[in-house]
Amino acid sequence: MDISFLVYFLAKGLEISSPIAFAALGGVFSERAGVVNIALEGIMGVTTLTLVWGAITFQSVWIGLVVAVFTGILMSLIHAVVTITFKVDHVVSGVAINVFSIGLSRFLCQSFFGAETQSKINPYLFPKLLGINSLAFWLIPAVAIAAFVLYKTVFGLRLRSVGENPEAADTLGVNVTAMRYAGVLISGALCGIAGATLFADKWITNMVAGRGFIALAAVIFGRWDPTGAVLASLLFGYADTFRIIFESRIPIPGQFVQMFPYVLAVVVLAGIVGRSRAPAWDGRNYEKGED
Amino acid sequence: MRQPKRRFSSHFLLAQAAPFMGFLASMVVLVAIVIFMRENPIKAFEAIFKFSMSSAAKLGAVLSISIPYYLSGLSIAIAFRAGVFNIGNEGQYFVGGLVGALAGVYLPMPTALHLPVVVIAAMLGGALWALVPAVLKAARGISEVITTIMFNNIGLALVNYLVNGPLSGMAKGVSLEPQTKKILPTALFGKLNGFFRSLGWKVPDYVYLDYSLIVAIIMGVVIWFLLFRTRQGFEIRAVGTSVDVSRYAGIKVQRVQVGAFLLSGAIAGLIGLQEIFAIRGFYTYNIASGLGFDGIAISLIAQNHPVGVVFSSLLFAFLKQAGYGLQLSTKVPNSVTYAIQGLMILFIVAINAIIVRAVRSLRKKELS
Repeated sequence: MDISFLVYFLAKGLEISSPIAFAALGGVFSERAGVVNIALEGIMGVTTLTLVWGAITFQSVWIGLVVAVFTGILMSLIHAVVTITFKVDHVVSGVAINVFSIGLSRFLCQSFFGAETQSKINPYLFPKLLGINSLAFWLIPAVAIAAFVLYKTVFGLRLRSVGENPEAADTLGVNVTAMRYAGVLISGALCGIAGATLFADKWITNMVAGRGFIALAAVIFGRWDPTGAVLASLLFGYADTFRIIFESRIPIPGQFVQMFPYVLAVVVLAGIVGRSRAPAWDGRNYEKGED
Repeated sequence: MRQPKRRFSSHFLLAQAAPFMGFLASMVVLVAIVIFMRENPIKAFEAIFKFSMSSAAKLGAVLSISIPYYLSGLSIAIAFRAGVFNIGNEGQYFVGGLVGALAGVYLPMPTALHLPVVVIAAMLGGALWALVPAVLKAARGISEVITTIMFNNIGLALVNYLVNGPLSGMAKGVSLEPQTKKILPTALFGKLNGFFRSLGWKVPDYVYLDYSLIVAIIMGVVIWFLLFRTRQGFEIRAVGTSVDVSRYAGIKVQRVQVGAFLLSGAIAGLIGLQEIFAIRGFYTYNIASGLGFDGIAISLIAQNHPVGVVFSSLLFAFLKQAGYGLQLSTKVPNSVTYAIQGLMILFIVAINAIIVRAVRSLRKKELS
């Protein structure tokens, strides 16, 4: 095994991990603010499509990225309004948005490209670095920024406080609603970047293929911490890379190899209990002056 | 925030209005999309009508499609009632269907025995696939939302392997879709079309109104009775309303949730029966997928009530046919119906939240 193969494996693994990792970072912000966001999956599907559309229409993949981030924010805004303003159960809203996203992305694909299940080929790609989508390397500064924002800024402190104890935060004058909106919208924006790291050269229906859900497992495994969540995402991503590279050389049926990341996720979740604690108010709605 | 007590009939009616208002709101969106695509809304609704209810055959098709929808919605509803989010009924029906099919293929016995045996086998298979997430939730507090999604993927891959490998019923070199051996004739589901025709409803023979309709009706009645007429059902509803209060009242919360979870999985195991035992006569990896996720929407729209699920599953069957109608007669693509389904849930839950708050403040006023 020579050195170039090792570099290839490491780089490829980063590329495959990054959609999961960016989505997981989004999940951390949302859940730290107390909103469970299982709509990550669906939102990524839509942002990936709008990225392709933006890149082709404006002939620049960077504008495509802006469009994708904007779409992610818009989609997550639905989740924010439904869960925070209308105080609907977070999982219910997330499931509904995932259903909505399947239809929306296919509908948009039909209207943009005239076909329902895949887009045109997009010739405007992100620059390559070490043979992979260079956007994947953004992950490294992204983790640092996320950790800094969450732990070293007033904004981060307030965000965490509304996920941990909204009553106390409210008493101290923190705007609980605004903070929760911020957490959810940040997760939407990060879904936009996640979609951009996922995208190859065209959009295909169901191309997210469960990465949004794996990202949620990574959030728990990473103990709702940006660094932990990204490391967990790398675990899943590299496991998948290993599978892709060695699939043909392993003498066991392909279906078992396909199961591997999911079995790993369940085993990992089952193994970490007691050491991982969700924010106290995660998934619960807060109502001022409620009994 | 549970539904208000049924003290004032006007408030009770108001609380039931959300599904209708949500449906209307999503239909308004549909009309907007149709107009946006420069199609005539009247023409679109004519197409929908033509495809869903213009004849006994079309109505029969809607009823037929609603059978797996009903079982899926019922499966989700019973779990929801206990505060369990069973997003895994997708995997549960793939596994349950396979177990049922195996009982149909490999256990020769007389029809009177074989039919209940395959139904029970399918239920056991579905419950089996819910077992690990249920235990992980109860024993270790792991969110079932994530484990069931993982188990969906694991289950689909496992079934794919089994049907391609050890349980394949095909001679080597035959390029059919991978499938099990043919199910024995004693286990195949017959049709009830003749019975319906004798009642004066002229459904043609090609519509599948088979024994799975009977299974669905029996399950609906059983679940309704369990939920609203037994102590276990009361405990399930109590746990779903408030885990803390239930625990304080001495209910074994974990045991109730595991029970409801397994029951939900067992019912999910039945979702594929119609396709496997009535339509195809063998099991394949290519049975319709996605019904499990539809069930979540169907149950939510019905506010997790076994009777309400009858209407919401018919509604979804209608929407499915409506989607085909739109696709064939207008430029509006079929995918719009998915978007509309998602929106409908959002509208219904949001409107419901508004109504619940309005009713509460009304009641406060009346009391003071």
